[in-house]
Amino acid sequence: MSLNLELVNITKRFGPTLANDHVSITAHGGEIHALLGENGAGKSTLMSILSGRYQPDVGEIRLSGEPVRFTSPAHALARGVGMVHQRFMLVDAFTVAENVCLAAGGSPLLDLKAEAARIRELSDRFGLDADPDRPVHTLSMGERQRVEILKLLRLGARVLIFDEPTSVLTPTEIERFCQVLKTLRQEGRAIVFITHKLEEALELSDRISILRRGRLVAHTTPAEAGGKRNLARMMVGREVIFAIDKPAVEPGPEVLRLEGLTGGGDPARPAFSGVDLALRRGEVLAVVGVAGNGQTELAEALAGLAPLTAGSVSFEGARHEAKAWAAAPKDALAYVPEDRHHEGSVPELSMTHNYLLTRLSAFTRGLLLDWTGGAEATRKAIERFAIKAEGPHQPSGELSGGNLQKLLLARELSRLPSVLVVQQPTQGLDIGASEDVWKSLLEAREHAGVLLVTGDLTEALTLADRVAVIFAGRILGVADVSDPDQVARISPMMAGVRQ
Amino acid sequence: MSSQRTIHSRAIALWAFALAVPLLAGAAVFAVMGSDPLAAYSVMFQGAFGSWGRFSEVLVKASALSLTGLAVILAARMNLWNIGCEGQLVMGAVFATAAALHLGDTLPAALMLPCAALCGMAGGALWASGPAWLRSRLGVSEIITTLLLNYVAIALMEHLYFGIWRDPAGFGFPGTAMFAEAARLPRLAGTRVHPGLLAGIAGAILLAWALAKTRWGYELTVMGLGPKAASYAGMDAARRGLWVLMASGAIAGLAGMAEVTGIHYRLQQGVAVGYGYDGVIVACLARLHPALAPPAAIVLAAVLVGGEYLQTKMRLPSAASLVIEAALLLSLLWLQARKKR
Amino acid sequence: MNDFAFLLSLTLKSSMAVLLAAQGEVLSERAGVINLGQEGMMLMGAFIGYLVGYLTGNAALAFAAAGLVGSLLALLHGFFAIRLGANQLLSGIALSILGAGLANFMGRGFIGKPGLRVGEWPIPVLSDLPMVGKAVFGQNALVYVAVLVTVAMWFALSRTRWGLTVRACGENPTAADAMGAPVIRTRFTAVALGGFLSGMAGAYLSLVFTPGWKEGISAGQGWIAVAIVIFSGWRPLGALAGSLFFGFLSALQFFSQATGNNVVPLYILRILPYVLTILTLSFAAALGRRGRAPAGLGKPFFREH
Repeated sequence: MSLNLELVNITKRFGPTLANDHVSITAHGGEIHALLGENGAGKSTLMSILSGRYQPDVGEIRLSGEPVRFTSPAHALARGVGMVHQRFMLVDAFTVAENVCLAAGGSPLLDLKAEAARIRELSDRFGLDADPDRPVHTLSMGERQRVEILKLLRLGARVLIFDEPTSVLTPTEIERFCQVLKTLRQEGRAIVFITHKLEEALELSDRISILRRGRLVAHTTPAEAGGKRNLARMMVGREVIFAIDKPAVEPGPEVLRLEGLTGGGDPARPAFSGVDLALRRGEVLAVVGVAGNGQTELAEALAGLAPLTAGSVSFEGARHEAKAWAAAPKDALAYVPEDRHHEGSVPELSMTHNYLLTRLSAFTRGLLLDWTGGAEATRKAIERFAIKAEGPHQPSGELSGGNLQKLLLARELSRLPSVLVVQQPTQGLDIGASEDVWKSLLEAREHAGVLLVTGDLTEALTLADRVAVIFAGRILGVADVSDPDQVARISPMMAGVRQ
Repeated sequence: MSSQRTIHSRAIALWAFALAVPLLAGAAVFAVMGSDPLAAYSVMFQGAFGSWGRFSEVLVKASALSLTGLAVILAARMNLWNIGCEGQLVMGAVFATAAALHLGDTLPAALMLPCAALCGMAGGALWASGPAWLRSRLGVSEIITTLLLNYVAIALMEHLYFGIWRDPAGFGFPGTAMFAEAARLPRLAGTRVHPGLLAGIAGAILLAWALAKTRWGYELTVMGLGPKAASYAGMDAARRGLWVLMASGAIAGLAGMAEVTGIHYRLQQGVAVGYGYDGVIVACLARLHPALAPPAAIVLAAVLVGGEYLQTKMRLPSAASLVIEAALLLSLLWLQARKKR
Repeated sequence: MNDFAFLLSLTLKSSMAVLLAAQGEVLSERAGVINLGQEGMMLMGAFIGYLVGYLTGNAALAFAAAGLVGSLLALLHGFFAIRLGANQLLSGIALSILGAGLANFMGRGFIGKPGLRVGEWPIPVLSDLPMVGKAVFGQNALVYVAVLVTVAMWFALSRTRWGLTVRACGENPTAADAMGAPVIRTRFTAVALGGFLSGMAGAYLSLVFTPGWKEGISAGQGWIAVAIVIFSGWRPLGALAGSLFFGFLSALQFFSQATGNNVVPLYILRILPYVLTILTLSFAAALGRRGRAPAGLGKPFFREH
């Protein structure tokens, strides 16, 4: 009988929320199935049920027609259903062979040589190009992903589930990944991948299932989907405007200039080097790149949190040499870090505490802190930014991601900065919250230049006036968003192709 | 910030529970040793609260425990665990003794005690400075270094009172000469209660106020709970940690000063009796809340004094109080872990 | 025996308790659990070992009982650290206090009573070798056991599937769990076995090294074992080297007492092991030479739900 995995009428409830509401989909051997949906649409829950991590409340799973109950991921894997998580489940300190050995089980004494031979064989057959003796921490994200695939194949997986497989890959690695998927399809394996990227679903898959608020809203194929716009409408449930209202702001004087800036990482191998950028008030300059190309370190270095080794920073009319920048006064430079939960805030502390975090000087009276004033300012921020919260006393850890991000933005904007550096400001936020954040960033142009570091090209094109592409620590080019020719060059540059 | 009232009712529930489990553990130990647990507890209770004289001994121990408890709390608020209060207390005692023995001739009597107090604090701070520096510069675990230095401090102290500081008129008794009148803390009539108790209470109030109201306290809280957020906000946690651990040592050193100038009037055996380790339990019992340190210290002191009475009255080893203490710490950890999940 | 052989013999004797405890801590920490209760487990092991030896006169039984009591205490710590996800550091400290309290409480009446004394167990032929023969091969049986334990620990951790699982649990329990490794069970097993070794380490003190029961017999050796694990880079063979170093420093004390050689004052020799342990720890940190700690060390593991 041919391979297929059916999910029939799956329902899963977490407390008051219905994560999956009578969802039925089928993955066939020799096919790539895309599961499309927004954050919180229930994709991950569904796949966790499929891979044995959760049990459904209602409904059943059928493997090639036969009903099965997976009690754990290991159990599912024993039946040939395996999952590659978004965060790879590998032991970084181990070699590839050790990782595979750990997953594969076997005799009490380790035989890494025999395992290495098996790995080479599988690696050749599926084009995975894995070296069994390399420690995982030396591998790139793409290589790690292939080790995960290898692990599943070694364990005999016939159904492979991928959770947002391309989110951490460079464009070249994505190409490579697509080839591997096609090989797997040829070999008759069934593949399900979760994504919220429309292009990917259209290009890669044979079938597309769309989830919205826990329900299966459509089942289609790339040919029948009616294009990206239509797919987006089905996914979000309303017309999505890919450009938000962006009032023109007269660009002001230059507020920040970076010349030959080098730093981050250890001095011998800087994370970024020779960065030349200039930012004017009233403008949004996006720095885009695939994760791990030095953009994080660049933003941190500008905030004074990562070392600079060469070059200079001109800010507020003064030119600072690289080494002097960390100690230079930066009251007018505000920074919203990527990790809003642990770097941008302290979850155990109240919203007032967190509002004061970068604003201590303004609320210090002698030795004392002005708690009354701080609470009042927080209350005002809650109102102005429409943050959903009980009040200033509520621990910020209880806020949703979107509301926390608004609190952080409120705090940083209240400093009336002349430069605002934001990293991945809408990562993990739903569309509604993202739009609010975008509006705030555009408003900030009134008094500031905004440096937007993002991996999301759509976000960059929506907000920015100019887009700088960073690759391997260098700025490969800066594109003017109003010029379609220049915009077209952004994607190749993200893959390291300079034109 | 939750209201004051919920803090209190929660704390009371916590204390009630935290006391029940270790009492059961102690009862089990007594029963295993063939003693009637109820009788043993009744003796312990008698020993701690039976008379004003006995209770005054509880207060005596509570003064040292409040201080070591505060020392642990201060560091723990920054996520630093000072397990070396014992050694810092000993060094505080040693430095205070040095002042009492050698500065008596040169110093006006009125300045003797303040000077001894300063010396004691300096000794404790000095003893904590090594681990503090190693922690902030090299990231060496302060738990292990502070702890190992306890053994070193005790060895050095013994070397002093067995050796060069031994009282020539002491008929070979291991200990220094008795301190002069000017180097003795006053006592509450008929008891051994000394002003160290007030220092513990004042310190608790001061620290509670500083943590809640000042910028310094705010920064300490942020550095303890969210180290990444602290460095994002430009706070230098390594540097602050250095000073906080030394301040913690100074508080423990003050406890040592109070022990020699308020209780023993000399440096001798019996200065290092575990108050430093008990400080960890006081801190946990007070849920790292400085204002709760003195009451927590009284609870623990009562267990210790009761345990001593047990030894004289029923010939049961006073180490029973150690077992009760450990069980108390474990039951507190259990509560904490339960709340977290 | 010449001075060198005497010092060598003393060094070996003085190293073994800390070596056994350090191997126990290596195992526990490689599985991801810090156990600062070494001192308590050693003290209880010392007392129970002494007690069983005193009552039965059987050394094997005494060591087994000491190991078991060490395991029991370690399991108590495991319950807090692994099952509850409580603060491991504090739970370990509580264990140290508990072990000291229980041992002192029960042992009060035994102080000064001579107990079982386990003597030397020379290996035929080898112990007759000139120079170091008697010093190395004329030791107590436990010395050989401790060395064997070290080799076995190295082999188990690096060459067996169980060792791979233990290391995976210490490095990345989430990944280990996803790969089907029984994280909770493995951690409990490692902690209990580690406790067994610490209990034996204590019994070594009360039956071999300084026979008899006295309060505080371990004198901080449990803490030194923890420090040795850190600067040995969490490696069994490194822990052997660290323990021998500590043993040598302790041996100097006895050597100078025994030979009446007072070049260095005794109190300096007394504090030397502690101070040098701290200094070694610091140098290792400064040079960045210490091996990497297991990435999941001290982090409780719970399956997300």
